[in-house]
Amino acid sequence: MSGETHFVIIGTGGAGSEAALTLRQRDPKCRITQITGSKLPFISRYELPRVIDGVNSWRELLAHPPEFFHENRISVRRNSWVDYVDAKNKKVLLRHKEEVSYDKLLVASGGGGYVPENLREFRPLMNGYGSFEDAVTIRKALPKKGHVIMLGGDMTGLDLARTLVAAGHRVSLVAGEQLFWPHEVPSKKREKFISVLEDMGIKVVLNQKVTAIKDVEKGKYARRVVFEAGGGIDGHAVMPFCGLMPSLNFMVGANVDIERGLLVNPGLKTTNDSIWAAGDVCQIWSPEENSYLFYYGWHHIKEMGKIAAINMTGGKKKISTYQDDHLYINKQGEIDSPYWMYK
Amino acid sequence: MAKNGKKTTDMQFAICGSAGDGTIAAGDIMKRAMAKAGYKVIAFDVYPPEIRGFGKCISRIRITSDQVFSLKPLSDVLLSLDDSHAIPHVGEVKDYGAVVYEDMPVSVMAEGSHISGHLTSTQLPYGVPFRELSERVTSSARSRNIVAVGYLAGLYDMPRQVFYDTISDKFKTKPAALTRINIEAFDAAFDVGRNTFRLDEGSLNPPQKKSSSGDLVMMSGNGAVAKGCIDAGLDTFFGYPITPATTIMERLAIDLPKHGKRMMQTEDEISALSAAIGAGYAGARAATATSGPGFALMSEMMGLGSMAEVPAVIFVSQRGGPSTGMPTKTEQSDLNIAVFGAAGDGQRIVLAPTNVEGCYKCAGKAFEIAERYQTPVVVLLDLYLSNRYEAVEFPTKNPFKANCSKPPGKLKKGQPYHRYEITKDFISPRAIPGDKGYRHAITGLEHGENGRPNDTTHQQMSEKRHEKLNGVLRHPGIAMSKRFGDKGKVDVAIIGWGSTFGEILEAMIVARAEGITCTAMKVVLLSPLPMEPINAIFEDSKEVLVPELNYEGQFANLLMGATGRPVTRLNRVPGTPMHVEDILEEIRRLAGKKKGRGSLAAE
Repeated sequence: MSGETHFVIIGTGGAGSEAALTLRQRDPKCRITQITGSKLPFISRYELPRVIDGVNSWRELLAHPPEFFHENRISVRRNSWVDYVDAKNKKVLLRHKEEVSYDKLLVASGGGGYVPENLREFRPLMNGYGSFEDAVTIRKALPKKGHVIMLGGDMTGLDLARTLVAAGHRVSLVAGEQLFWPHEVPSKKREKFISVLEDMGIKVVLNQKVTAIKDVEKGKYARRVVFEAGGGIDGHAVMPFCGLMPSLNFMVGANVDIERGLLVNPGLKTTNDSIWAAGDVCQIWSPEENSYLFYYGWHHIKEMGKIAAINMTGGKKKISTYQDDHLYINKQGEIDSPYWMYK
Repeated sequence: MAKNGKKTTDMQFAICGSAGDGTIAAGDIMKRAMAKAGYKVIAFDVYPPEIRGFGKCISRIRITSDQVFSLKPLSDVLLSLDDSHAIPHVGEVKDYGAVVYEDMPVSVMAEGSHISGHLTSTQLPYGVPFRELSERVTSSARSRNIVAVGYLAGLYDMPRQVFYDTISDKFKTKPAALTRINIEAFDAAFDVGRNTFRLDEGSLNPPQKKSSSGDLVMMSGNGAVAKGCIDAGLDTFFGYPITPATTIMERLAIDLPKHGKRMMQTEDEISALSAAIGAGYAGARAATATSGPGFALMSEMMGLGSMAEVPAVIFVSQRGGPSTGMPTKTEQSDLNIAVFGAAGDGQRIVLAPTNVEGCYKCAGKAFEIAERYQTPVVVLLDLYLSNRYEAVEFPTKNPFKANCSKPPGKLKKGQPYHRYEITKDFISPRAIPGDKGYRHAITGLEHGENGRPNDTTHQQMSEKRHEKLNGVLRHPGIAMSKRFGDKGKVDVAIIGWGSTFGEILEAMIVARAEGITCTAMKVVLLSPLPMEPINAIFEDSKEVLVPELNYEGQFANLLMGATGRPVTRLNRVPGTPMHVEDILEEIRRLAGKKKGRGSLAAE
C-alpha cells in the first residue's frame, strides 16, 4: 500500500477500533483518522454497568489506554459529528464545518437506542444509556433501593437490570416486542426465560402498552409510566431498551444503498467502491437467507471491523453469515448471552 | 489538600485568540472576578509581537486557594477564541485537562484547521457555539468573549455575582444597556456550562477564609508601580511611550491630575529623564518609565543625575533586546546597563521587585531613597512582571514617607551653603533652588563641595558619591534581600532577582518536598549589593544556582565579581517566563552532584 493512503473511520466503537488496529498492522505507513461524537475514547456500553457498581472515573472503563492511539498513530477526532459524506469528492463534512478527505472510508457508526414512535415525545423524561455520562446520570438519579422502570427489554437493558438488582435496586421491566433483542426467542422458550428473569429479581410486566410517561413532582418517585389499559407504575427513572437503530443519517445522499442499515456484501463493501461498513450500522447480504441481515454482538462486531480493514487494504475476506448466538440459562440458573461476553 | 483538611484549588486557564477577539478582556474579567471571589490569582497576558494589528493574544490565569508564586507550565483549561492561534498551544494543556472551543464556525474549514483535531487522547474536548449564543442573546457576535467566560464560569461552578460585578465595573463608563446585554450573554453561556457534563479533572473548590480584613485587588505590576507613585506623592511624571512600560504613563496620566499633579509626554526618552532630573532638582518627586531602548538613550542623563546628585526615579520594564529586540517578549537583560550604563564611575541605586506587591513597595520606596541619597534610582521591572496580574492586598495606611531629604541646617551669618558638603555619612544637606540663603550651583562637571568646577577633588567626590549609597542597605520599610526555605547549611541555594523569583520559589518548594535541603534568596537591591546576606548564603551552601532570563548571566556575573565565588548559571532567553521545571531539574542535578549521584558526579 502507498504510505499516503488516508483511511477515515466514522465511529470508535468495537468495529471501528478493531478496524483501525488492523489497518495499522496491515499498512504501517498509512494515515488513520477515526471520527466520533463522543468526548471520550472508546468505552464499551457493556462496561457501563460498572458505573452502577461504583466506578467513578471513566479512565477505568476505557477499552484502550490513552497511549494506544499515539503508539498506533491513530488520530481520533472526538466530539466531532459527521454532517454528511460527499462520496463523489471523497470528503466527510463535520458539523463544525471542517472537511476531512479520505481515500477509503469505513462507516462504523453503530446504532443509537431505538425509541418506539409512540414514546418519542417522552424522551426528556427517560434516561438514556449509551455513554458514561448516561450511566453517571442514572446512578445519581437513583436513591438507595431505587426503582428503575425499563421499557422493552433488549440484552443491553437486561445486562444493566441484573447489575441494578445486584446493587440493591428494584427493576420493573415492561416487556415489549424487543424483549431479549437481538436474540430471537421461540415463544415456547420465552415463558421459561421470563420466569428466570423473575427469579433473578426483575419484575416483568407483560401485555401492557405504555401510553405516557409523566413527571411526578411530589412524592417518593420522579416518574410514572401510564398503561393504555389503565394504571401504571411509579419509579425513580424510566429507561428504554428497545434495540438499536443504525446511526447513518449522514450517509443519505452519499450514493450508497440503504435499507434500515447500510447494505454491504459479505466483504463489507457498500455499493460505493471507496466505502465499507461494519458493526451495528450495516446489513450484510446473506446468501443462505437470501436477504440483508444485521449481525449483533461483540464478537461479530470485532470480526466485521477486522474483515473490513483487511478488505480495505486489498484483502478478499468474507464474513461468515452464520449466526448461532442463542440465549441460554447458565449454571447459576440465570439468563446468559454470548453478547455479554464481549471481552 | 490544605493543612486544615479543606480541598485546595489550583487551576490555570489559558484564553487564546486573535487581537480583536476580546481575549485579554475575557482574561481580565475572569481574573478580577476570581480575585473578588477570594481566590489567589496570578495572571499574565501575551500580546502580538507586532504590538499593533491582528496577532495572537493569550491570557493565562492561575487561580489558587493557597499563595503561589508563578504560572504553571501546563494549563488545566485552554479556551480557544481563534483556533489558528490556539492550536500550537494545545500541548500546553495537561493530561485530562480541557480544551474549550467554538464548534459552530461561520465558514467551511480546511482539514486540520479546527482545534478538535489536535487534541491528544488524554485531553477533553468541549465544543460550544459561542458565536450562536452571543448572537442569540445580543444580536451580535461581539460578545463571544463574554459568552466564553460565562461558559467556563458555569462549567466550573464559579460564583455568578462576582462576574456580574466585574462586568458592571468594566462597562461602567459605557451605556447601561451594554452592561445588561453582556450580563445576559454571560448568563446564557453560564447555564450551558453548568448543564455540561464535565469529564476533565479540573475542579474549583470554594476559596479559603481570608486571614485579614483587607480587600484583594487585582492589579498588574505596572498598575502597582503607578499606585506606588501616587501613594508616595509623585509630583510630576515625564515619559515617552514604549512597550511594556507605557501603561505606567497611561495610568498616571489619569491618576495624577486627580491629585493636582501632572504627567507630561516628552518628545523622546532623553527629554523625559532630563525633565525628571530638572523637576528633581527643583525639589519635586519626579519619575519616568521606559524600556531597554529608551533606557539606553537616558544613559547620559543618568550620569548627570549621579554627578549633580539629583533625585529621580526611572522605571525600566525590560523586554527582549538588544535594540528594538522583542518588544512584547520578556527578558532580564538590562541589569548591566542599569548598574553600569553611564560614563564614569557613576554608581547608582537599582531596585528590582519580584512580584506585584513588590512593584508597589519598590515604586514608593524608590522616591524615599532617591530623595534621601540624592541620586537617580532605577527600578527594574520586566514585561512578565509589568503585565502580570496578582491579587494583592494593599496596606490601609500609606506606607511611604513624604519627605526624606536631609535638610540643611541653619547657616551662620555669612556662612556659605555648600551643596556638596562632605559629611560623616557622605550625604550632603540638600537645599532646593529658591530656598532663601542657600544659593548654590550644580554641574555635570566634577566639582568641589561648593559646587564649582574643580578636577582636583575627583578622588574625594568619587568616594562621596559611592560611600553615601551604603546607607540604602538599611533603608527602613523595605527588605533589600530575603531568604526563604531551609535555614543553616543547605545543599543548594538559589539566588534570584526580578520576576523569575516566583518560579524560583515554586521550584524550591517542590525540591524541599523531594527532600533536598535548599534555600532561595531574592535580591531586591541590585546596586549596591547587600553583601552581608549574600556572603552568608554562599557560606551556607554547597552549590549556588542563579536562574535568570538573559543569555550572559548578568546577575551571576555581578555575584561572582562581588563574592569571588563560583555559581551555576541557568540562563534562558525564550521571551517567556522561566519554567519551574527547568529550575527544579537543575536543583536536582546540583543536589545529586553533591551527594555523589547524577550524571555530573560520574564525570
